[in-house]
Amino acid sequence: MAAGVARAARSGMSGKVDGMPGAPALNLTAVSRWPRLGVALLVAAYLVGTWAVAHSSLNVQSLVLVAAVFGVLAISLDLVAGILGLYSLGQGGFFGIGAYLTAIAVNNGGTSPFVMLPIVVLVSGAAGVMIGAMSLRVSGLYFAITTFIFTLVLTVLATDLQVTGGTQGLLGPSFPDLPDGFAWVGAPVAWCILLALLIVVGLIWSLRRSPLYPVLLATRDAEPFAEAAGVRTAALKIGIFGISAAIAGAAGWMFSFLGVVSPGQFDWSVSLNILVMVLVGGINTTLGPLVGAAFVSMFPAIVNINPWLQEIVYGALSISAITLFPEGIVGLITRRLRGSQPPAHIRPEAETKPRLSPAPPATGATVAAGAAGAAGASAPARLEIAVECRGIEFGYAVGPKVLRKVDLVVRRGHIHGLIGPNGSGKSTLANVIAGRLHPMSGSVLLNGRSVDGISPSGRARRGMRRTFQAAQLVRELTTSQNVSVGLYTDLPGILRRAPVWPFLPSARRDMLRVQKKSADAIRAVEADAWADRKIADVPHGVEQLTQLAAVCIAGPDIIILDEPATGLSSREVDHLAAILSQLKAQGVTMIIIEHQTRFLLPLCDQVTVLNAGEVIVTATADEIRAHPVVRQVYLGA
Amino acid sequence: MLQFILSGIAIGAVYGLIGMALAISFYVTRVINFAQGQIMMIAMMITATATAAGLPTAVALVLGILSAVIVAVLSYYIAVKPILAFNRFSFGWLVSTLGFAVIVENGAAYVWGPTSRPFPQMLNGLSLHLGNAVLTGQQVLSIAVALLLAAFFELVRKRTLFGKLGVAIAADPEMASAVGANTSLVAVVAFAISGVFAGIAGVLIGPDTFANPYLGHTYGIFGFIAMMIGGGTERPVAAMFGGLLLGVLGEGANALIDSQASDWFPFVVLVIILVVTPRGLFSGGGLWERAWRRALPARREAA
Repeated sequence: MAAGVARAARSGMSGKVDGMPGAPALNLTAVSRWPRLGVALLVAAYLVGTWAVAHSSLNVQSLVLVAAVFGVLAISLDLVAGILGLYSLGQGGFFGIGAYLTAIAVNNGGTSPFVMLPIVVLVSGAAGVMIGAMSLRVSGLYFAITTFIFTLVLTVLATDLQVTGGTQGLLGPSFPDLPDGFAWVGAPVAWCILLALLIVVGLIWSLRRSPLYPVLLATRDAEPFAEAAGVRTAALKIGIFGISAAIAGAAGWMFSFLGVVSPGQFDWSVSLNILVMVLVGGINTTLGPLVGAAFVSMFPAIVNINPWLQEIVYGALSISAITLFPEGIVGLITRRLRGSQPPAHIRPEAETKPRLSPAPPATGATVAAGAAGAAGASAPARLEIAVECRGIEFGYAVGPKVLRKVDLVVRRGHIHGLIGPNGSGKSTLANVIAGRLHPMSGSVLLNGRSVDGISPSGRARRGMRRTFQAAQLVRELTTSQNVSVGLYTDLPGILRRAPVWPFLPSARRDMLRVQKKSADAIRAVEADAWADRKIADVPHGVEQLTQLAAVCIAGPDIIILDEPATGLSSREVDHLAAILSQLKAQGVTMIIIEHQTRFLLPLCDQVTVLNAGEVIVTATADEIRAHPVVRQVYLGA
Repeated sequence: MLQFILSGIAIGAVYGLIGMALAISFYVTRVINFAQGQIMMIAMMITATATAAGLPTAVALVLGILSAVIVAVLSYYIAVKPILAFNRFSFGWLVSTLGFAVIVENGAAYVWGPTSRPFPQMLNGLSLHLGNAVLTGQQVLSIAVALLLAAFFELVRKRTLFGKLGVAIAADPEMASAVGANTSLVAVVAFAISGVFAGIAGVLIGPDTFANPYLGHTYGIFGFIAMMIGGGTERPVAAMFGGLLLGVLGEGANALIDSQASDWFPFVVLVIILVVTPRGLFSGGGLWERAWRRALPARREAA
């Protein structure tokens, strides 16, 4: 925490204290010297604590070590529940897999515990990937239910099988002793577990500081936005759940050294207790799961009364914690601490600042001039076709077809308008082109190649980006963090590097690049007054501009804009037109859905009019204005 | 063969009632009440206590079911409403309903002790011969009551304004409240109805199991499985079909595999069914319905 504050103070951008507790993520320049020292001090203090535990009595050791194992489990759950919104009730099951595998293999086969660790991690990780792949095809609730059932089944198996010792369970193996002469180090099992906890905390801490963090939150809160930025969200979710499962399995490996391994320690109520730990401590915080795990696992030792009363008190405490403090202990404390700096105070000039002060590079590109001037500019590429739709048919399970035999040809470098009355199928067509909806027949070609069957993220990787009619953004992140999601495909090996991000020199360079690009993109759309505000606090028009910045930052070939001018003031609309002209001058092809024809038509090279799912006409803007049918069905004149 | 099918249906009817109780409260609030089994248990404990105090069986049964309704409504106010008020999409209810279950179960163990108490025998003394199978009167009662309740519920849901209100709230709570529906009241009533179902399930099974504070756990899980394999999350009555199937499969496993097979066999079935059709067998979009539609393409849903 101290490290974060110090860094915030150092970073040049004023008043950057937003972001999640302990997760200032993007806005901070990787790790500069001060926080490094802070982190080093914290780690040193932790090692001293570990030393003390390793030399303490067995009672203290078991209390601390069990809490630490549950800390690892709680972190593994927070990784999926907090960061990805996947409420797994399978952690108990993976935990059990780890503990039983270790106990059985070491007790019966005499395998070395250290050989078992990678095996346990692989097996539980693979189980996690399988369950994730199976259950994530349906909704988040089904994920919770499926993982719940997984734990139920494992508990039943552990109870009924011979090899697991039934309800009695198995006596766990003892941790190997250190070689002679190293006895001064203390109990090796304490070092092992507490160092493992440190490593897991470090991984999550790094992840929260990497540019992957906004991407993960986008996958959680605004999946279409993440997909449109090229993120393979389904695979990402399954992969992260696999990692979470592997960590839970490793926790089971550690737990097996602490005594008896029996079904009751892994049943579904344990899974729920881990969730209690995460929620009580503070979901999606670095330290919350640890605080919660310490509280829950030490609770019976501290409150030493009649076991039934103790359970009743525990139940009452967990209900009151979740109803009265839904952010958890750590969430509450950080909000209190941050409460002294209200966000409005940070940039008091934000509302009053004139919007057009830093003149955009494309000065003088008035709406009309932009359209007329650019039309002749991109002559060489005109014949090439960027996007083509052939005979698209689309309909939902019931009702008439939404799109009927739609043909659309968008030439490279053109701005192609898509207009039509409400319900004429414009957004549906955009979704078909972007890959969110699959047509019943017909095909979409991108740069002359069919992209049928390619996911939205795959199309994004082929250079097509889009915005959404209803902005899809992460409300708890700042504008600039949201914009940085657009750079996902531009950061090689981001998945690999995220767990150790702050420690990589290359990552530091990348971070600076991400920050600079995000800042530039936001400045280009003139939303820089809002760059450090959370999306939850910005007006609708800024959300639209943020989407646009997130699209432009990736330098795409083709952009689909779904009603970009909605919610913008007339001055902002003018500015938007200037931005679009500028993009066109750079050779970007655009498909724009819009109702404000006064804004749209002057920009367009070609306009397609849809009505009731059919193309009425495709022509230049002037022809469209004069077209009798268009006047009748759409312009209403 | 006939014997295990019939006794499977009898026990399955009880699972189905608990499954429906879970499904009814889920239907309106999108919350799985993990305390449902404990609510059933309370009905059994109160009935047993009232009988022991010398009250007539009928009064004791009514008291038992009434207490289940009270606990169910309490669970709504304590464990569900505050969570939904904070965020309708949060999963905090996983914790709060479990916490409520922990309180009820351990409270019962604290008050009544962990041992089983005698339960009125009701119709357990009667026996009916059907071919070479024998059913107790209680088993026949279970089947009859469960099927009647399921049919009655479906009638209310489809044919009354209140039922349609429930459908509307299940589909879109915000929209429903925008057009004037009192979503909170409907939720309370749904929880009360779920209490009735769970309470009745408790007094139906009580003569066989006796009253024990820890029964709620087991029956809650079986009710949950019934709901999941049936597909009760989308159509409460499907949980009854799921329960009947679960009961028959469990008794069949005991008869045909070995006497402990009902401990694990239902779980295997559950996993297989969820892999094949994640939304359950008898839900709207489930396997059964799809097969049915394919077989009878001309059939159109009037509603």
